[in-house]
Amino acid sequence: MSEEAEAALAAIFRTEWPRLVGAALRIVGDLQTAEDIVQETLLAAVDRWPLLGVPERPGAWLLTVCRNRARNLVRDTGRAQQRTLSLRPLLAGQAPADGEVREIADDQLRLIAMCCHPLLPTDAQVALTLRMVAGLTTEEIARGFHQGAATIAQRLVRAKRTLKEHRVAFADDDPDVAGRLPSILDVIYLVFNEGYLATTGGQLTRGDLAAEGHRLACLLTELTPDQPETWALRALLSFQLSRWDTRTSADGVLLTLDAQDRSRWNRELIDDGVHALARARNGARGPLLLQAELACCHATAPAFAATDWAAILALYDELQAIQDTPVVALNRAVAVAMASGPAAALPLLDKLTGDPALRHGHRVWAVRADLHHRLGDGVAALADYARALDLVSNDVERRYLADARQRAADQYRSRA
Amino acid sequence: MNEFLLLGTRPPTSGETSPARAAHDMAAVTAWHRWLRRWGLLRAFSLPQDRAAELRACLIVWASGLAAAQRLGAGWGRVTGYQVTVLPLLDGSAGKERER
Repeated sequence: MSEEAEAALAAIFRTEWPRLVGAALRIVGDLQTAEDIVQETLLAAVDRWPLLGVPERPGAWLLTVCRNRARNLVRDTGRAQQRTLSLRPLLAGQAPADGEVREIADDQLRLIAMCCHPLLPTDAQVALTLRMVAGLTTEEIARGFHQGAATIAQRLVRAKRTLKEHRVAFADDDPDVAGRLPSILDVIYLVFNEGYLATTGGQLTRGDLAAEGHRLACLLTELTPDQPETWALRALLSFQLSRWDTRTSADGVLLTLDAQDRSRWNRELIDDGVHALARARNGARGPLLLQAELACCHATAPAFAATDWAAILALYDELQAIQDTPVVALNRAVAVAMASGPAAALPLLDKLTGDPALRHGHRVWAVRADLHHRLGDGVAALADYARALDLVSNDVERRYLADARQRAADQYRSRA
Repeated sequence: MNEFLLLGTRPPTSGETSPARAAHDMAAVTAWHRWLRRWGLLRAFSLPQDRAAELRACLIVWASGLAAAQRLGAGWGRVTGYQVTVLPLLDGSAGKERER
């Protein structure tokens, strides 16, 4: 089997995984049992397909095996009678008929909502979503977050136990599913961000996590096509992911927007972002939509010099009016510097370096160092670069900052 | 050449799997079976009806002797994760008859 065929197979399994978990969960009602059944289903495919060939409709085959296994389990444990009502629609058909498509979609959405239940802390929501919806193993999740497998395993066990103890049911009429959408979006964004800008380690990006985040966002738009916010998240992630390959040079050096080769940006993802953004504009102008609009300004500018900084600043003004956080203020200050020059932005940065949420991170110092440098204040620039270097935890960013400081130091030394 | 029965069982707790891992495993198993067929060593196979059972697959293979069959069994176990039991099906004379 070629690498291409393996990738195609992995794509099928990835797509089917949350459908299978949802279908199993609908029958057995317990997250751990559903996970076991889905694993067993994949293993059945690994046992049989190499000998019998890949079935014509692999998704239908997997769903049938999964449901049969779940039904057998329920029957074996003597719970069949209690479940008759929920089983009735499933007993009729083997493969998913057209009428079942909506039900399968609903199952997946309920599964995501269950994983993002407010009873669970955010890190548990993230881990559970990655395991149950994305199908990542404990080890893969641990690797993605640079944590021990035992820590993640414990987190998953605790999360499942919490849901069980609180009798969080996988019910058709769960009224909270729609209400949980904001936390679902948060979890997916968190997964993507952890992958997109790794907070620690030697790699700037952690491809698998970012790709999973983007995939989950796409899945969510399929499941909730009438929710503009989900389209906004998809647009935002598509735009950001379109630059994936150009964010570092071949030798691992961080490349900022002005240094990236725009001809290598992924056009397909940008087009997807533009399409998703159009759908998102049907809703209210919330934080996600505004961030997607900002990402669109960058992604669709033909060159760095052609970036519409006035439009970007206007969007940041709008964003800050509804989400006045230090991070938004910092990004807005950068837009001010680009639209009106570094001198206009410096007072904003001076204020932000005192912000408790920012002063312990490297970004605010790095931005101010750049502004001082552009204004020709070498002493202040070098001092801020030094502070940023003390605080940065990602090796690629550290290298970028060290190079920037060195360039600034060389420049001032030659002037002196 | 003699015929041997290879029984592949999977222990109930065989660890976690993921879409990527399952695809990777399947690619490896498929490649192994293709190799077995190309060399004309696979005589027949059978899969149990009950997919929940520990017995996952049976192969009837041609091998020059028990040691060779056990090597095949070890290879099968490596790619599938099965515990493989190797049993001779025909006695030596039947094998010799076929060789003639």
